[in-house]
Parts: sequence; structure tokens; C-alpha cells
Amino acid sequence: MNPLSDPQLQHTLSGVFRLVVPEIVLVGTACIVFLFGSIFNRRWIWFTTSLLGVIAAMVVAGTVKTATPEVLTTASIVPDAMGGFVRWVALISAAVLLFISWPEVNRSIAAEYYGCLLVAVAGTSLVGRANDLITLFLALELISIPTYILLYLPVRTKRNQEAAAKYFLLSVLSSAVLLFGFSYLYGLTGSTNIAVIVDTLTKANAEVLSPMALVGIVMVIAAIGFRITAVPFHFYAPDVYEGGPGGVVSMLAVLPKIAGFVALARVLGLVGSDSRHIPFDANTQLPLLLWILAILTITIGNVLALLQDNIRRMLAYSSVAHGGYMLIGIVVACSLPDATGNLRYGAEGLVTGPAVGGIDALLVYLVAYGLMTFGAFAVILYLSTPERSVDAIDDLAGLGQTHPISAGTMAIFLFSLIGLPLTAGFAGKLLLFVGAFTAPADTATMRNLYRLLAVVAAVNAAIGAYYYLRVIGVMYLRTALNPIRSSRSAPTLIGAVALAGATLFFGIFPQPIVNAARKAAPVPEIPSTTVAEAK
Amino acid sequence: MDKIYEIVAAPGTSRFLLLMVVLFPFLAAFFVSLFGRRARRAALFLAFVHLGLTTCLVVIGTMHLNVRGEQSTLRNKDIVKFQPTFIPGDTSGRSGEDGRTGWTLLSLTSSPPSANRAGPYVQFFVGMDGLNLWLVALSSFMLIPAILVSWDSVKERPGGFFGWMFFLQGAAIGAFLSFDVILFYVFFELTLIPAFFLIGKWGQGSARRDAARKFFLYTLAGSLLTLVGVIGVVVTNPDPLTGQITFSLPDLMGNVQHWLKIAHDEALAGKPEKLAALHATQFWLFIAMMAGFMVKVPIWPFHTWLPGAYGEAPIGVTILLAALLAKLGTFGILRFVLPLVPDASLMYGLPVVGSLAAFGIVYAALCAYAQKDMKLMIAYSSVSHLGFLVLGIFAFNAEGLSGSVLHMVNHGLSTGAVFALLAFLLDRYRTTQISQYGGLMGRFPNFALLTFILCLASIGLPGLNNFVSEMLMLAGLFHADMPHSHHYTLSVIAAFSIFLSSWYIMTMLQKVFFSPLKEPHPAEPESATPPADVSRRELFAFGSLAGLCLILGLYPQPVLDSLKTDVSYLSHIGDGARARVKGEAIPPDVVELAPVAPKSTPKKGK
Repeated sequence: MNPLSDPQLQHTLSGVFRLVVPEIVLVGTACIVFLFGSIFNRRWIWFTTSLLGVIAAMVVAGTVKTATPEVLTTASIVPDAMGGFVRWVALISAAVLLFISWPEVNRSIAAEYYGCLLVAVAGTSLVGRANDLITLFLALELISIPTYILLYLPVRTKRNQEAAAKYFLLSVLSSAVLLFGFSYLYGLTGSTNIAVIVDTLTKANAEVLSPMALVGIVMVIAAIGFRITAVPFHFYAPDVYEGGPGGVVSMLAVLPKIAGFVALARVLGLVGSDSRHIPFDANTQLPLLLWILAILTITIGNVLALLQDNIRRMLAYSSVAHGGYMLIGIVVACSLPDATGNLRYGAEGLVTGPAVGGIDALLVYLVAYGLMTFGAFAVILYLSTPERSVDAIDDLAGLGQTHPISAGTMAIFLFSLIGLPLTAGFAGKLLLFVGAFTAPADTATMRNLYRLLAVVAAVNAAIGAYYYLRVIGVMYLRTALNPIRSSRSAPTLIGAVALAGATLFFGIFPQPIVNAARKAAPVPEIPSTTVAEAK
Repeated sequence: MDKIYEIVAAPGTSRFLLLMVVLFPFLAAFFVSLFGRRARRAALFLAFVHLGLTTCLVVIGTMHLNVRGEQSTLRNKDIVKFQPTFIPGDTSGRSGEDGRTGWTLLSLTSSPPSANRAGPYVQFFVGMDGLNLWLVALSSFMLIPAILVSWDSVKERPGGFFGWMFFLQGAAIGAFLSFDVILFYVFFELTLIPAFFLIGKWGQGSARRDAARKFFLYTLAGSLLTLVGVIGVVVTNPDPLTGQITFSLPDLMGNVQHWLKIAHDEALAGKPEKLAALHATQFWLFIAMMAGFMVKVPIWPFHTWLPGAYGEAPIGVTILLAALLAKLGTFGILRFVLPLVPDASLMYGLPVVGSLAAFGIVYAALCAYAQKDMKLMIAYSSVSHLGFLVLGIFAFNAEGLSGSVLHMVNHGLSTGAVFALLAFLLDRYRTTQISQYGGLMGRFPNFALLTFILCLASIGLPGLNNFVSEMLMLAGLFHADMPHSHHYTLSVIAAFSIFLSSWYIMTMLQKVFFSPLKEPHPAEPESATPPADVSRRELFAFGSLAGLCLILGLYPQPVLDSLKTDVSYLSHIGDGARARVKGEAIPPDVVELAPVAPKSTPKKGK
């Protein structure tokens, strides 16, 4: 029989559209906004339209029933739990971004701004469910290309231009590197389907390790490292954060990180299929590479943030450092297939998997990071006016007296960034630390390195506290020399207060996020065969 | 009488009472901050309400603990666990079962929680036992003198000031009552936020911002390592039956003892590898866990944040810092380090930490003698006394441990009281420089009398509170059966510290109270009347402190009785560790008592 006429295959290929209806709604709304934006460009019209679009996408995402494709090896989109998690995070981010970006959108750019935002969100959502290298690449570009436009849109000064150009050039370079890495993976396996690639490489690995696969994945990690601002691919971040418009920067700090980490987890075979797949050399080289990357990213990000006087640059380096913390989750997840040495036997012969699996900790941290980063930028946006934008940390002096609400919310976000208890940041850090300790401590090459990672992360959290605390000190312990007048943008303030409330709520009761994350990335159970072998 | 007891001792009442003792300060913090200008009266009223709640808890709690102490039923001799009672959300219906709570904040398992099994849950697990009851009472009481001495001196935004004071108190009480390792850490860290704002915003000196920042960062850096250490203990000691990790302290200490016992049995059978590996792990975990507590106590050389923080903080806050927050460090060692890494605490506790503490005792005493400012002198004397306390804890036997628990309360009272006395001088003259004063004995006779009582209590005069606990700790140190450690040297240094403290305190008293009269410019030079002797408000603050010092010095037995059982658990763990480190079998007669904690059934007529 002709394989193309296989009904299952046909069904799989034609069912794809059903799986991306919310994204289609988003892009459709964006098209309407782009098209009619050239006729009437009013901020409130397009704000409302975009918000309605996002709500429609949420409704559709909640109601349309999807089935897993029958032939996973041809499906380019898989509607698994991870995809659902990323979609909801992306849609909620979209709503938040619409609110907080209110003051920097004016009538000349409103339609383009909101349209690009919706497309970037659709891209993020697609990354979560891409099961094919091509789809993955297109989804990642769907985030990058609107970002170029967004960075250029409100350009007024040379510094804005520099930021936009820098981001554009480096982003294009990283896309090229990503394609180069993908080409190796395709060449080795003869398929662009991620499920096929992971399977084929795992089987090949059982016999002999392929250095070519390693070259490919190193390229992929380098390219994605640009999106998650991993050191040494972070150089653009401070300049872009300083020069770019606040709302766009807050989007840039969060959406590409979500997309990057999810893409990395997918390509490394850590999501979805059997988590004991080892498509790459998970025994030594890959965890070691990511381990080094994580340590470098956390440490350099934190140390450089110490030196900053500009709050946007400081937040840029802090976002680099937080990218490093999240890499810990990936490192831990990479180590778990190797965890046979760490099996815990009960006296009754019960065996349980680890308490934290790595990817679930990463997802919780991503949500917490999104809350506090959006929040911090929302406060900065709220306090900035076109005449005077908040740049230097000293601009915030005496904020506790002049703007108690903004100062209070900012303090909550900064405490959360430090990782103090009762904030979402603490829940994220706690899970990552538990994860790092859960990783096997007795493999031949990695030995105690995972635990060392937890110690390094703890020391860095203390270093990080220095610069966040400095901002709190400036806000509350000093008096305002030149009090700032806020933009009085109500939507931004509402957004900031809601984000602060969520930060506190998920800090005190993180169970909802943890449950969602564990559903999206189930903690690997140890299969019974391995238990029998180990016994 | 019986009827009243039945009502107040009903499980629901006592659980609710305990919950209120934790949560009331946070509610009070919120209400007080709304009062603005008139916050101080509201704060005083609420502090008294809280003291009333705590008194009820102490009364019921001591009855319960005494009943428990009498019913010394022997049971599982190998594994002892803390037995908290009055747990809000308690799930155990039957008596004799270990207390657990059902209030889960974070569950790290997808299977539904079962009531009687430990699992990877972070819970709101607070409870009372002999070790924390008196510290909670101390925390509740010390806020009153702290508010009274801040009565006139805090003029800027009193609502915020007293609100943060309640917040600080609540966080300290929460940490004392926690039986979940993560919950303890949460409360432990939560003390930083109020302390940062109190020192940085209402501090007296020009360096207050730096002092606040240094205090925050130092403590945070240490306590993050403590968190890593605690997680290390949790992950490396899963439940032997289910393989699940647990964050509940009683279960966790049971697991630790279980795995140590297995390794010990193997070692006795000639296979010491497992025990050696456990000891190696414990060494690192001990260092990590101690990092935070050594900073918090503080132990030399991690004390450098202390002079700044104590010196710059407003005097009411200094009282709370010295009386409560320093105790969080020593309490953390007692509650977490000793039971969770017992062998390492024995091997490295006295030799390493103890040596640092002993050096710190002498060093801080010399520093105290050299200070020109009374506030800094008392700050250093506090470092010196706390070194003694740490030595007492690491003696790891019944005398040392009960002495150190008692000393935590005593030291909190007497050091807090001496700091409170300085408020008298600060209110009148705005300075605590020793050289500015002289001959105050004739000028303020009542103040002088109170000062002598409290300073002598701080030195450890027989008949006053510190004497009892210091003697107990010294007995514990001399009696410490420590492999490879010079515990006699350490005990001599500790004894010498009593002499040192009388030396610098007496020198200060002589200069300030007995030389020819010398007083600095009054704080309000334009007022017609010269500064007067103690007012009614001050008399109440100082007098109640002095009275408590006297009562605890003359009749400490109720306190010692109520903590006997829980200290015996810890000393039992210490005996086990001693046997393992020496490579001997645990002698059967060291198991003195490990009583069950049944629901307290009052005896008729008692």
C-alpha cells in the first residue's frame, strides 16, 4: 500500500490545524489589527481588539478538544501536557503585556505594536508543541521577527537604534547557528521529526556514541543559549534592555526564555516520550557542558549585576543570572536517566522516583521569573514618563514616601528576585535546590558536581541579594531629591499590583503551579526492569 | 477546677491557642500600622493581649509537659523523635501516635497524602514542646519592655515602627514553633525583612543603612547555605519503609537515626565503610547547616555584622535583636544540627565550633572592655556570653543541654534588660559614651539600684538567673565525654569568661555610677526641670525584667522540669553518636527514658 494513503497518516497530517486553533486566533487577530490599523490608529481600539483576541484564544484553548496524533513520527505538532502548560503561560503573558505596555504605546504605533505582540505570543505557544525541527525553527522565528519590529517602533534616540540593530544582527546569527545544528541532526537521522531523532539517536547511542550528534547539539545549545541569555551568549542583553522600550524589553526577557528552555528540553529528549531516552551522551559530556554553562551564567550574571548603576542594565544581568538558575533544572533532568545508582529501596521493596525531576522545577521557576520580571518592568514603566524615563537606580530614591504603592510592589518583586520566603521566587529556588540534590551523586565522572551546583547557586543567591537590596534601600531608606512624577497609567499599575499579588500567593501556596508543572513534565518513574536489574 | 482544666486542655483549645500565638503578631502588625500617631498605645495593648495568650499556653503547656514527664513509658529505645503537641490541623486521632498536621503547603508527590505516613510535603507544622515553650514565652514578654523604652524616642512614623516590631516578634515565634524544616527556614528568613527596615529606617547613627544592609546580607548568605544543608539531610535520609523524603523534623530525625543504626550495626560487624561514608556526608552537611547559625548567633569570626547592627539600631530593636534573634541561631543548632547530623556535631562540634566559640569568648570580652560606648560594650558582652552557650550545647549531654536551653531564656532576659537600661540614658542625654558619665548613683538612686541588679544578673551572681544555667552548662562541659577534644580546656575558658564579664561590667559600673558626678548635656536643654529618676513607665519595664531575673534565679525548677523529657531525647541521640564515633556498641543502660506523649489526662486533684 502506498504509505501516503495510510489513513492514520492522512489523519495525522490533516489534524494539525485543529491543534493550533488558539494560535490561529491570535495571528488572525494580529492580521485584523495590522490591516485596519492603517486606517484608524487609536490606542484603545487596538488594545481592546487585542485583548478580545487573547480572550478568544483562551476560550478556544479551553474548549477545543484535541487528540494526540496517531503517527507521532510524522506529526509536526503534539498537543501534550507540556504544550498546554506553555500555551497557558504564553496567553496569560500576552494579557499581562497588553496591560503593562499601555504607557509606551501611542496612537502612531498602536496597531503595529499590539499586532507584533500577538504574533510573538503565538510563536511562544507554538514552540511548546512543536515536534519537528522545521516547526520549531519557524515558531522561534515567529518570536524573533516581531521583536525586531517592536524594538524599532518607538525609536527616538540613537541608543534605541543601537539596541534594535544589535538584537537583530545577533539574533539572525543565532538562527543561522541553530539551523546549522539542526542540519547535523537531520543528516544523522534522516528526519526532521524530533520523536524520530530522539529515538534513532538513543538506539545508536546504545552501541557507540556519535561525535557528530554532539557537534549538532552543541550548535543547538549555543543558538538557544542566545535566547536564554546564557553566558557567553548574553552580550546583547544589557544594551538591548537599556536601550529598548520597557514593555518590549519585559517581553524579551520572558518569552524567548520560555521558548528557549522548552525547545532545549524537547530537542534533548527530556520531555514527552520515555524520559530514559538518552539521545546524546547524557553520561558525561552533555551534563558537564550544561553544568559549566549554568555555573558561568549564574556567576557572571550576578557579579556583573553588582557593578550596574542603571536599573535596566541591572535587571538585564539579573535576568542572565536567573537563566543560569533555570539551566540547573535542565542539568538535573539530563542526569536523571542515569539515576540507576540513586534508586531508593524501601524495606518493603517499594521504589520511588525522585521528588523533583528537573524540568518541573524549571517550569515553576519560569513562571515565578515571569511574574517578577514583568512586575519589575511594569513598575519602571509606570514611573517613566516620555520626558523623564527611570534609568539610574538613584532615580528611585525616596519612592517609599512619594509612591507607596509602586514602591511596595517593586519591593515584593525584588524580594522575590532575591528568593526570600513567601514569594514565588523562593518556591522556584527551593525546587531547584531539591532537584540538584536529587541528581545522582555517585556517577563516575560527575561525582558530587550536582551538589556543588546547589552550593554555587546558594552562594550566588546571596551575591544577588546585594544588588536587589540596594534598590530596596534606595527606595525606602533615602529621601527623594528630585521626586519622579509617574505616568499615571492605570492599566500598568493594575498589572503591577496583580502581579505582586500573584507573586505572594504562589509564594505562600505554590501547589497549583507545581501541580501544573508536574503534569506537564512528569517526574520520571524508574521502570521496573531497571529495578530488577539493579537488584 | 477540673471543669476549667478540661475546657482549657481540650485539644481544640490548645491548638487554637498555639495558632493564635503564631498568627496574632502578624495581625497586630497590620492593625498597629493603621494607627499612625497613636500606634504606641495600641501596640502596648496588643502586646499585653499576646502576653496573655502566651501565658495561657505556658500554663497549659507546663501541665501537659509535666504529665508527660511523669508517664515515662519506655518504648522503641533505638529511635527517639521530638514530640510536639498542640499541633494545629492535627490528624492523629489516637493517643500515643506521633503528632502530624494535615495542613500541607506544598506536596512533591502525585499520590494522595496518607494521614499516618511521612511524605514529601512542606507543611504548616507548628507545635509546642519543652524546648520551645519558654523561648516563645520570652519572645512574647520581651516585646513589652521594647515598646516601653521606644515610647518617647520613636517620633517618626510610629505606626510603621511598632508594626515591624510585631512582625519581627511573629517571625521569631514562628521559627521557634516550627517542626517542618522548610517552614523553620521561612520564618528564619522572614526576620530579615523587619530587621532591615527597623535598623535602616529608624536607626540612630549615620551608618544605619550600611549596618542594615550588612546584617541582611550576612545572615542571608549564611542561611542560604543552611538551606542547602537542610535539603541535603532531607534528600539523603529518605523514609526506610517507603523511600519517600520528608520535611517533617520528627520523621526526619527518625530516618537519620535509622540509617545511622544500620551503618553502625555493619561497622560493629566489621564493615565500617557505610558508617565512614555517612560520617563524610555528615561533615559537609554539618558545615553547611552551621554556616547560617554561626552567623546568626554569632560565633567569632562571623560576628562582624553585630557591632554595626546592634549599635545603629534603635534601642527597642536592639533589645529584640539580642534577646530573640540571637537565640534563633543557638536554637537552630539545638533543634536541627544536633538531631540531624549527630555524629558530626559530636566530632566537630566542640573541637572546631567550640574552639572558635572559646576564642570568641575571650576576644569579645577584651573587645567589650575596650569599648567607649556602653551599647557596643553590651553588644560584645553578648557575643561573649553566647559563645559560652554554644559550648554548653555542643557538650551534648543532659546537663549541658538543659543548661543551654535555660540559658537562652536567661540570656535573653538579662541582655535585653541591660540594653533596655540604656534607653533611660538615651532618653535623657542622647548618648551612651562611658566617658560622658560619672557618679549617677547619687543623681538617680532608683535607676542605679535596678542597674546593679540587672548587671549582676548578667554577670551570673548566685541567686540571679544566669548563675543557674551557667553552672549547669559548666557541669555539662566538665562532664562531657568527648572523644578527641580538650573539653577541660574549653570548660576552663568558659568558667574564665564569668570572671571576664564581671571585670568589664564592674569597670563600667564604677566609671558611670561611682566617680564624681558628671553628666552630659540633657536632651532637652530648654526644659526647666533637670532629668528625673525612673518614671512609672520605665519602672515597670526595668522592674518586671529584674523581678523575672530574680524569680528564675531562685526557683528555676519548673522550667527545668518541663524541658527534661525533650532534653533526654537529645542527650540520648548524643549517647548514640558517642558510641558510634568511638566504635563501641550502644550500651543498653544509656537508654534512660523515652516516654510516649499521650494526650494529657489530668490527674484528679492536681
